Amino acid sequence: MFGRVKDAVADAAETLRRAFAGLNVVEAAPEPFEPLSHGSEGLKAEGRAGLEPPATLCREMGLLREAVEGRALEPFQARLCDESGWARWGAEAEVIRMTPLEGGRVSGIAVPPLPRRAQTAGRVEPPVRPSTRRWAEPLPAPGSRRLDPDLSGAGAKAGLDTILSLAVPIQGEDLQHLPKGLWMRYSLQLVRGTGENVRNLEVLGLFRLPRKGVADLRHDPARGRILVRLEAAATRAPRAPFILARRKDDGALVSCFVEDP
Amino acid sequence: MAEPIKLAYFMAVKEGASYLGGLLVTDTSGIPLDFRYTEPITPTRLQGILYGKSLEPHLKEEVIQKTLLKELKTPPDLFILSATELAGGWSGEAKYPVLAVQKSQESPLAKVGEAFRAGPRELLLQVSEGAAPLRVMFAASVDAAAQEQAIMKLLEAGYHMDLAEPLERVSAALQSLVVKEA
Repeated sequence: MFGRVKDAVADAAETLRRAFAGLNVVEAAPEPFEPLSHGSEGLKAEGRAGLEPPATLCREMGLLREAVEGRALEPFQARLCDESGWARWGAEAEVIRMTPLEGGRVSGIAVPPLPRRAQTAGRVEPPVRPSTRRWAEPLPAPGSRRLDPDLSGAGAKAGLDTILSLAVPIQGEDLQHLPKGLWMRYSLQLVRGTGENVRNLEVLGLFRLPRKGVADLRHDPARGRILVRLEAAATRAPRAPFILARRKDDGALVSCFVEDP
Repeated sequence: MAEPIKLAYFMAVKEGASYLGGLLVTDTSGIPLDFRYTEPITPTRLQGILYGKSLEPHLKEEVIQKTLLKELKTPPDLFILSATELAGGWSGEAKYPVLAVQKSQESPLAKVGEAFRAGPRELLLQVSEGAAPLRVMFAASVDAAAQEQAIMKLLEAGYHMDLAEPLERVSAALQSLVVKEA
């Protein structure tokens, strides 16, 4: 591989050598630099007779119209005139004579009286006051309403029938604490009222019940009380001792009111 | 002969948005002597806002209770209400002792009539033989002397009746009235 590279470089060198082998070198002499000189005219001065005043051309300036449109001013341009200013100034000179002062007529001058009261001047006028106008349509006044917070509107009703429809529990009295004589009296009345043998009766309790108005009666042995359903007459009826007993032979309940001594 | 004792049982309940109350007067056997109840009062929403938290106490004490008491011909000896109502700060009429009675789970005291003071306005009272003592709570308006008189009346009535039971009847009656009104 290096051999090929070497050959290629050699071929390129030979090619270059052959290409530049036939060139001829020509020498050329350079031309000398020569500066060229030109003559110039001298300065000359022209004399003029006298001074000439500058003449100006006045041009009217157009007024700005409506302050909207503006016109550009043309620049001043000087112009030479042939008229001699000095000569003209001397020729047109004018002498003015002033008349002497003369005595004038004397006349009286009425002096106005001083004002008695000084007038104030320079009063500043008040600024324009805004005029008030009444609103033709005012807001309508809100109507007030009254809420009565009183809650005392409840009426009471008699509901005795309602409460009497519920069973009333009547607690039995403690027979152990009754006087013995009183209990003997109650027992006699129980036998007389039921017609049962006292040995066949088991006393369940002594209760105070209304003599009238007892519609229904049930025994609650668990709590030793009776549940009664009453009528309205019961509220006004006198209370009386009531003995509830059970017959031992058939378990039937017997009862009677007894008299207090 | 002494005037029989009258016990007044008061209860006010809220059913839905309405309030109604009942007052049951019984004798010492628990037998009803009178029963009054109010028509249901339904405060408006605006009244509820204006009264705020004072609505319910105001209705129960000022409106319902006073309306019912006006209907009574003779004042009761004891004014009994539920322990919940009394604990809520009852400030009703002071013409008669206001108290609450409640069944307790305490063991019976030595004898009937014995009282155990649990506080200046609360005590346990043995009203019947062998039963659990009754918890009695007095309103703040009841002084010590009035409490003693009330205890005597409770013992007398408790011999014949269950002192706490009539409130259950009042509650049941009000419930039946609500159903009837509906």
